[in-house]
Order: sequence, then structure tokens, then C-alpha cells
Amino acid sequence: MSATAIENCRYCLMCRHAAPVGHVMHDETVTPHGIALVAASVNRGLLDWNPSSVDVLYAEPDTGNCRAHCVTDQRLPAAIAAIRAAVCAEGLAPPSVYQIHERLARTGSAFGERLASSGAADVALFVGDEAHNLRPACVTSVYALLRAIRVEVAPIGIGASTGYMACSLGFPETARTQALACLEEIRAAGARKVLVLAPVDLFAFRKLYPERLDITWPPDIELVDLATFLAAQLAKGTLRLCPGSGDATYIDPTHAVRTPERFGPVRELCDAALGQPPRELFWRRDRAHPVGSTALQFSRPDIAEALTRARLEDARRTGASTLLCEDPGTLHHLERYASEYGLTIHGLFNTLATLTRA
Amino acid sequence: MVGLQAEMIRSELEEVVGTPNLSTDDTARLVYATDWFWLPQMWLDRGEKPRKPDYIVRPGNAEEVSAILQIANTYRIPVIPWGGGSGSQGGALSIYGGIILDTKRMNRIIEIDEKSLTVTAQAGINGAQLEWALNDKGLMLPHYPASANCATLGGYLSPRGTGTISTKYGKAEDLVLSMQVVLPDGHIMRTPVVPQHAAGPDFYRLFLGAEGTLGVITEATMQLDYLPEARLLRAVLFENLADAIEAGRQIMTRRLDPFVIRLYDPRSTASRVKKILGYELEGAYMVIGFDGDKDLAALQEQKAMEIILRFGAKDLGREPGESWWNHRYDFYYPPQSLKLPWMYGTTETVTTYDKIEKLYYAEKRAVEEGFKDRDIDFIGHFSHWFHWGVMVYTRFIIKNPPEDAQEAVRLHNRVWNTAMTAVLENGGMVNEHHGVGLKLSRYMRRQYGDAWPLLERIKKALDPNRIMNPGKVGF
Ligand SMILES: Cc1cc2nc3c(=O)[nH]c(=O)nc-3n(C[C@H](O)[C@H](O)[C@H](O)COP(=O)(O)OP(=O)(O)OC[C@H]3O[C@@H](n4cnc5c(N)ncnc54)[C@H](O)[C@@H]3O)c2cc1C
Repeated sequence: MSATAIENCRYCLMCRHAAPVGHVMHDETVTPHGIALVAASVNRGLLDWNPSSVDVLYAEPDTGNCRAHCVTDQRLPAAIAAIRAAVCAEGLAPPSVYQIHERLARTGSAFGERLASSGAADVALFVGDEAHNLRPACVTSVYALLRAIRVEVAPIGIGASTGYMACSLGFPETARTQALACLEEIRAAGARKVLVLAPVDLFAFRKLYPERLDITWPPDIELVDLATFLAAQLAKGTLRLCPGSGDATYIDPTHAVRTPERFGPVRELCDAALGQPPRELFWRRDRAHPVGSTALQFSRPDIAEALTRARLEDARRTGASTLLCEDPGTLHHLERYASEYGLTIHGLFNTLATLTRA
Repeated sequence: MVGLQAEMIRSELEEVVGTPNLSTDDTARLVYATDWFWLPQMWLDRGEKPRKPDYIVRPGNAEEVSAILQIANTYRIPVIPWGGGSGSQGGALSIYGGIILDTKRMNRIIEIDEKSLTVTAQAGINGAQLEWALNDKGLMLPHYPASANCATLGGYLSPRGTGTISTKYGKAEDLVLSMQVVLPDGHIMRTPVVPQHAAGPDFYRLFLGAEGTLGVITEATMQLDYLPEARLLRAVLFENLADAIEAGRQIMTRRLDPFVIRLYDPRSTASRVKKILGYELEGAYMVIGFDGDKDLAALQEQKAMEIILRFGAKDLGREPGESWWNHRYDFYYPPQSLKLPWMYGTTETVTTYDKIEKLYYAEKRAVEEGFKDRDIDFIGHFSHWFHWGVMVYTRFIIKNPPEDAQEAVRLHNRVWNTAMTAVLENGGMVNEHHGVGLKLSRYMRRQYGDAWPLLERIKKALDPNRIMNPGKVGF
């Protein structure tokens, strides 16, 4: 599978327009074609894995933008992750990759602590690593919103990496261990339905597990995106909000293109939060680019920063001074440089929580 | 390049573009060692070492381009402009090493003028991204090449590209109002604000088709159109190619203004139309489309259909036409596309209506008979129609080429010589829209005959040190 995608993509340029890293670095080498050609050339003995080629290998963001625009659905991100695994095993990955892996393997989290969860309920909320460790206020707001609609949830995966990060960095075994731990926690909570807070985790459960880790999501447990769930409650009138007002630009989160079914619902939440539709970025919906909230923040921080700054520049051009997003990881990265662009970052769930009424 | 001189050049380039915008490592040099030309791709595919560029620079504006060209003149090293690297003619190959000047950092839209319907953008902007920005305003740049996803504006203009809807809207070059160009000596110039005037000769066209041999295009102002209210497409099937070409000619010369006429020869109808669209048909398959105001487009379509039906063609209805439009680029995605280790080449050409059929059959016969032992496949479609003639997009495919890379180069060149000889002997141009590049460079003298020395003199005057893209376009 991975060899096929590398061979198919090495001379294909058809996703160039949608590929985020090539766009911000202006460099052929770090486009999907460039990375695939490097990998194919190593296979042919024209290159070896040395610091410069490994740097290129680690430039791919694993956000699915190439695949989302591929008519023949080449699984290049997975193929690259598989090659990273081989490079890691050889001890040839950048030191920062091993450092973050050590932490992931030890704590189960890339960003802080992983807490054990003990509650049980019909509905569980998968909190995830970024929300708990980087934007705890976001989690508090989500609880408030769920309380407002009288949905009792058992929080699970508090501070937990689903395995996406380890897999993306090139450690599939660690990823598998983390994935199985997450599933075990879900089972232990006795939930029939799992609400997932972050798009990255939704992607992991839905696609990464079966496609890269050979793990299937339990068929008897319903997997539901939190934003989509809240938008449905809003439409039904179960989630009742005071009229919102404001002018803000919505930024589709990292991995947005992997969950296109969220584009509409999340904007319905924005409409409610602002009392009007949000302003839109140029890089939106199916062409949404990520910020640096991927493995790039560890392997290629220069690219992670360039991606985040590009989104902020795009946002500045829309004319609004506030940026709205629901994804904790995306919010965290935007926050780092937002003031340099005269922008304020607001969490969508936080904004909605302030509008809840009994 | 090694030693002190290499380091001096490197540090001077770095001063101009900054460290992040200069690459000299082996990995980047390998990636920039091939564009979309079959030969270098095959070469790498067989594990052969390519000739790599020495430096890759990514300038952000015309001033930086100018400084780079001045450094190249000082050290007498080649500069090869690189847009998306999607050119199929080897135009962006660094066959003598030197500096690859990647234009992709020059990707800003400078102005969209909604009154005059123009856009001014830097030359390195990606075609699809430019189109998205225009579509957001209800506008389009009516140059729709299959490579819009990967090509740049400069790459559209430099090899005189043609897009799917050129039959109505013209080639990329017909859409240019003005350009900013950096000449080989680093001089930055801008052509007059409009192309149609009587204030002297039309010299701005020199840079259209020069493929980086006469300078670097850094900015262009392009004519736009409104996104059409309607696009009416349908497919028809002719019993034979001759009738289909004649029907197309009548539609064009009566100025019925189709935005597309895509006519597949019987061999393509049986292979590509079947493979991509799933229709099993015998004959010559044509997709024809009219766009713009719904009523006008419908009337034009009705008039065109009267001509088509007079030739006994079968109307296949809208669905196959629309399906073709929606899937017209699918063919380029692997594994549907042409793929190595196959050998292939697009020998497209253009000539007037009185010669086109004879030319097509002459080329077909020469290639098919000349390489029968190789089981060569020769297919074609007629896709860019003019008032005076039509382009035929012919292609050869050999599915079992020699494994040895040197052998493969020899065979490839022999096929090309055969095809181009037939083209030139039958009044065709060696190319209509992919450009000359390295691939067709050696035919330029034959193509131009007594006009060639003029081009040579211009080249010598503008680029005395021959730094700009040597080995291409006959220079
Ligand atoms: C899948 C696919 C489909 C294609 N379909 C079409 C099609 O429908 N129509 C069509 O016309 N072509 C087509 N092509 C060919 C190719 O994409 C076009 O020629 C394209 O316009 C090249 O643009 P580029 O930016 O990739 O240029 P490159 O390949 O980078 O360069 C092409 C040539 O132009 C020169 N050049 C590039 N930028 C500049 C500049 N700013 N100033 C001066 N010289 C410059 C280069 O040195 C080189 O000689 C296709 C190619 C592919 C891969």
C-alpha cells in the first residue's frame, strides 16, 4: 500500500494547489510530489536517509489535504508515516522526534498529563490531549453546554493521545498501544455513544485506526462529533441560547478537510454565537489549511510556525479582529502569534457557553 | 559546483533571497532535477543519476530576480526559471547545472480590477489558487489547462499554453494585457498597459514562448471574464473523423463560438473515452459546449447541432458531455495516467484546416509503421479550434520500452524524429501549447528556416552571456 502511493505520487502534481506546506514554504521539495519523489529515490539508491532527506520526510503535515483533493484517493500521508516508522527504527529520525516519542510513550500525552477516568454513563465525552492540556477552558465550556441540554457525560480520554501523534511521527506500535488504551477506557465507561471534542481525534477513531493501525471502532458504540451534536441540539431547540452578536472570522480547524461533514454544522454554531454568519478565510472548507498543531510542531517547528502565521495573515485580510474556532489545538497555535496580527482568538464553545440559558 | 567559487555564489545568492529561500542540499537538488518531461523522469526511474542544479533560489520580487541574474552574469552560470515544474518539454531542466529560479514565492495577487475585468498577479501564483480567488468574486481567468492545479501564471505564459476553453476564450497569451519582465542583464521592465495599440511594434510577445530564454516574467495583468451563467455540454458520435473535422470547421468558421470542441479520433474513442468515461463507442466522439448567457448559448448550440446532424452524427445527449466536463482532469491522476515504465510523448501540433487531416494521417502512419515492432499506440484528439485551423493532440505510447536507460533515450528520440519530420513536412508547427523546451529545441532551425537568424540575433542582444535557460527553444 505505502509503496503504491509513493510510486503513484512521485510524479503527480495534481494536489499542489491544495497542499499546505508547499504553499507556505514555496518549495517543490516539500510538496506531496517532492516528498514522494525523495522516498522513491531512496528506494532506487539515488539518495539515502540523511539529515536533509529526513527533514523533507518530516515536512509532510499529515492533515489529509492531498488526499482530500485526490481523485484516485492515494493514501500518501499513511505511506509517509510508514516510511517514517522505518526511519525511526533505524535511528535516523531527528532527535526531537525521539524526545516527544519518549514522552508520549511514558505519559500517554504529548502535551502534559493524562488523567485516569473513572465515571460511567451512556454518553462519554472524549476530551483528548490538546483540550485538557492546552485549552482547559474549552473543556469547562463544553461541560456547561452539555449541562444546558441536560446531557450527562462521562469524561474519558482526559489528556489522552489517541495514537495519531505517535503514528504520524513514525511509532505505530506506540500508537496501537494508545489506541487500544483509549478503546479500553471507552468500554470501561459503558458508553453507547462517544462525543468527540477535537477533529483530530474524530479522524483518529474513524480513519486512522482502521487504515493505519488495523483497529476497528466497536460497532455497538456510536461515534459522534461534538460540534455536529451541538448544532443538531440547536436546530431542535434543545440547546437554547441568548442571541449572540459579534463580528468574527471562522477558521476551519486542522484536519478539517478530513471531516467535511462538519463544515455546515460548525458554521451553524458560529451563526448562533455571532448572530450572523462568520467571515470566511480564503483557505476554508474543503481547501482549509491547517495551523501548526500536528507532529510538525515537534519535527519541523519552522513549518508549523509558517502554517500558523499564514492562517493569521489570511484572517487579517478578512477585516475582522476576532477569530473563532472550536478546536483546542488550532486555538492554541493561533494564540501564539495572534497579537502580532492584531487578532483576538475566541473559542467557539466558550462563546456559546456564555450564551446558554436555562 | 565545489570550492571557493561555489561558496561565493552561494553566499551572494543567500544575501539576496535569505537563508530559508536558498537550497543547495542533495535532496532538494534531486527534486528539482526533473520536471514533467518523460526523459528525466525515466532516467531517475531507472536509478540513473541526473544532472542536478547547483542552487535553488526562491526570490520574492522582481528586484531579487534582478539581483540573481546579475550574480549569474558575473559568474557566467545558467539560470533556469521554474514555475510549477509541470512542463512536459524539459524546459525547466538544469542540463548544465546552475541556478533554478523557483518563482513560487512570487505568488501575490496585486489587484483585481472588477471594472476592466483584469487581474494583476505575480508570476509564481498557482493557477488553481488564482482561479479560486477570482471565482470568489464571480470571475474567472478563462485559461483552463489540465495542469491548473500545479502550474503557475508565468508557466502559463512562458510556453504559450492553451486551456480546455481556449476555443472561445483564446490561448493564455491572448489574455495578457501587460507584463513585468526581468531581462537577462537584470533590467526590470514593464510592457505597455494594453496590448492592442499602434504605438510601435508588439515586442512584448517576445517573452511569450521564450520559455525563460529571454528573461523572467515576474508579473502579468490578465483579462478576465464573468463566470458563465450556463455551460451547455453535449456529446455526439460521428461515423468517421473526416466528417467530424469538417463539422468542427463549419462551426468555427461560422463563428458559433463554442467554448469547447473535443473530438477524439476513433482509437481514442475506443480507449480513453471508454477508460475514463465508461462509454463503449465506435467512431469519432465529440464533446461540444456553449457557455455564457443561457439563451444565447442555447441558440448557438442549436445552430451547431444543425450542422452536426447534417453529417449524420448521433446525438448522445447532455449526460456524456457533462460527464466529460466533470471528469476531464481525472485522467491525470495516477494510476489512471500514463505511467512509467511506459514510454510516451505528446506530439501535438497545429495547422490550417486544409492541411490538418493530411498531417494527422501522415504522422499516424509514420509513427505506427515506423515502430510496429514496438507495438506502438498512436492516439489523438482535436481540442483547440481556431477560425483558421485546429490543434491535434497526438500521443504515442509504448508499453514495453527498453529497460536500459540509454536504449530508451535512443528509441524515444527516434520516435520523436519520426513524428516531427511528418509534422514539419506537412505544414505543421512542432508544438501548439506545451512549448519547445529541451525536447523540441533541435527542431527550431528547421521550423523557422530563414526566420531563425532573427531570433538568434535577438537572443544574442538580450543575453550575451547566454545565462538564460541554455539548451532550450533552440538557443
Ligand atoms: C497533468 C498535466 C496536464 C497538462 N495540461 C496542459 C494543458 O491543458 N495545457 C497546457 O498548455 N499545458 C499543459 N500541461 C503542460 C504544463 O503544465 C504547462 O506548460 C504549464 O503552463 C507549465 O507551467 P509551470 O508553472 O509548471 O511551468 P514550468 O514547467 O515550471 O516551466 C515551463 C517553462 O517555462 C519557463 N518558465 C516558468 N516560469 C517562468 C517565468 N515566470 N518566466 C519565464 N519563464 C518561465 C521554464 O523555464 C520552462 O522553460 C500539462 C502538464 C501536466 C503535468
